[in-house]
Amino acid sequence: MVENRPLLTFLTHFALIMGVVFLCFPVWMALVASTHGPDALARSPIPMWFGDQGWQNYSQLLAAGLPEAGGVPLGRMMWNSLIMALGITFGKIAVSILAAYAVVYFRFPFRMGFFWMIFITLMLPVEVRILPTFDVVTKLGLLNTYTVLIIPLIASATATLLFRQFFLTIPDELVEAARIDRAGPMRFFWDILMPLSRTNIAALFIILFIYGWNQYLWPFLVTSDESLYTVVMGIQRMVNSGEALPVWHLIMGTAILAMVPPVLVVIAMQKLFVKGLVESEK
Amino acid sequence: MAELSITGLGKTYPGGVQAVEGVTAEIADGEFIVLVGPSGCGKSTILRMIAGLETITTGDLLIGDRRVNNLEPGDRDIAMVFQNYALYPHMTVRKNMEYGLKNEGLPRSEIDARIAEATRTLRLEDYLDRKPRQLSGGQRQRVAMGRAIVRDPKVFLFDEPLSNLDAKLRTQLRAELKALHKRLGATFVYVTHDQVEAMSLADRIIIMNAGRVEQIGLPMDLYLRPATRFVAEFIGSPAMNFVEGTVDPDRRSLAVNGSHSLRFAEPLPAEPGHKIALGIRPEHLTEVPAGALSMELEVDFIEQLGADTVVHGKLAGANSPLAVRLHGVQAGAAGSVVTLGCEMDNLHLFDLGTGQRLN
Ligand SMILES: Nc1ncnc2c1ncn2[C@@H]1O[C@H](COP(=O)(O)OP(=O)(O)O)[C@@H](O)[C@H]1O
Ligand SMILES: [Mg+2]
Repeated sequence: MVENRPLLTFLTHFALIMGVVFLCFPVWMALVASTHGPDALARSPIPMWFGDQGWQNYSQLLAAGLPEAGGVPLGRMMWNSLIMALGITFGKIAVSILAAYAVVYFRFPFRMGFFWMIFITLMLPVEVRILPTFDVVTKLGLLNTYTVLIIPLIASATATLLFRQFFLTIPDELVEAARIDRAGPMRFFWDILMPLSRTNIAALFIILFIYGWNQYLWPFLVTSDESLYTVVMGIQRMVNSGEALPVWHLIMGTAILAMVPPVLVVIAMQKLFVKGLVESEK
Repeated sequence: MAELSITGLGKTYPGGVQAVEGVTAEIADGEFIVLVGPSGCGKSTILRMIAGLETITTGDLLIGDRRVNNLEPGDRDIAMVFQNYALYPHMTVRKNMEYGLKNEGLPRSEIDARIAEATRTLRLEDYLDRKPRQLSGGQRQRVAMGRAIVRDPKVFLFDEPLSNLDAKLRTQLRAELKALHKRLGATFVYVTHDQVEAMSLADRIIIMNAGRVEQIGLPMDLYLRPATRFVAEFIGSPAMNFVEGTVDPDRRSLAVNGSHSLRFAEPLPAEPGHKIALGIRPEHLTEVPAGALSMELEVDFIEQLGADTVVHGKLAGANSPLAVRLHGVQAGAAGSVVTLGCEMDNLHLFDLGTGQRLN
């Protein structure tokens, strides 16, 4: 639609710009706050421009951690978050692409039954099954491990459904050509299905990484060992650090640093993602 | 040797659709066989059973002297070209052609030699590093053929490979296919619904109807002596004319409907009182009212094709539609009446009930 109506153009741009400002303002505030000392933020008005404490704040965060919040170094928490996010992402993609492969390409008894069982788990995210799942992992003695941070969050149907829908669009002739070319099930999966799913995998990677990185409730329940704390939990602990006043400049710095990995993932993957949208390879 | 022996082949799909029934054919080594018939008659099903992509419900399939009923497609020594090309979209042309050879475990030097040979044959040298989506339809189908050629199979299978191409390209690729067959000397089994393609490509044609074989024969046999009314109608364009009627007691005339009858110079090779369909090809009717019979055509409309003129109308006095193909540019007005003749040799008689040929 190419229309030339100045008022409309103005209004749409205005709405978009307001949206951007609305979304970016808190981020800006956090970024600014993380460059001031503790006093500046306690006074009003709150500063709107960078201070001179940035270097000091960030080096303290990265090197020493926060004595007020148990003194876990930020690097450790970032590492834990990264392991959890990547574990969930890779685990989910691997499990769901294999499940979709089985459901679409193999004829086995109760195939549709299994498909519906997977489908029904859509209605059971971790938050809903939190007590039984907690009970299970406790009995398995998995509390305070990376395993418990990752495995229960891997099981879900969304990614399986997405891959299933995608596989159904791959023409049968392609599968048959591969059979004639002597590609067995494993070859077909690796040489044909995986490369064709590349853009779908990239899109899922972005979504799942952010999903994993932002997990709060589940890690909070199953970890008490400080060496397993994730960044999101760390921020929460800093805010509620007992009697002491929250150290806002450092909390904001942590929040900013916690945003970096998801942003990097989006930037790195978006090229593939957009490329997939533009050049349809089917 | 790569003769193909098909005996009593049948296919019932899960759900009970009987797609193919009792098909028997002997295909010689190096023969170009075309399976032709209307859409849904089971051509693809037969081809896919030969390829091993579909299980065989009944019957036997031998390639050479090996029974291949239960072999995987990759082990049957066949290659297949599909209607929608079925190229691997993420692989370059070269990779597409290599893929099967790699899976077979051929040495690199052999793979390269075969690809070089095939690309030369198909003039694909300039496209080896392109992806399928960067190629035109005709080029894609050439790549698909290349992928088949490099496998050096005993039998090539084609499922309507030219259907997605425009008319000009189709003609061109048809010629290339014919040349390719000559050069390779392999057995080709080719499926199409287009009778022109079948006539121009085939050494022999298998014509199918509703899952069964109607006739197997040389293209000219099918044209000159169709075994059934179905074959007669299917082969040739414009399609054969049919006049239905009852043979009179003297066998020299055919009562078309009540009042009207056609008179013949010689007795018809059919029993008196027999209900028949008399077939005459549009190109066998002449404007000279001589020969075995003469009949009158009421003109409805005229199709000018350039080299020929097709006059469409009705048999005067009856309601049978009738078309005539005349040489050159001919004038004629709707409503006028043309007198036509036909030689006795060019008449085809079919039983009205069974559709079997009578003469
Ligand atoms: N996978 C299938 N399941 C059930 N019926 C099928 C299947 N494939 C084809 N058929 C049926 O078998 C008949 C023959 O199909 P096909 O061999 O594809 O015909 P053609 O290639 O001559 O057009 C058709 O009636 C079609 O509906
Ligand atoms: Mg078909």
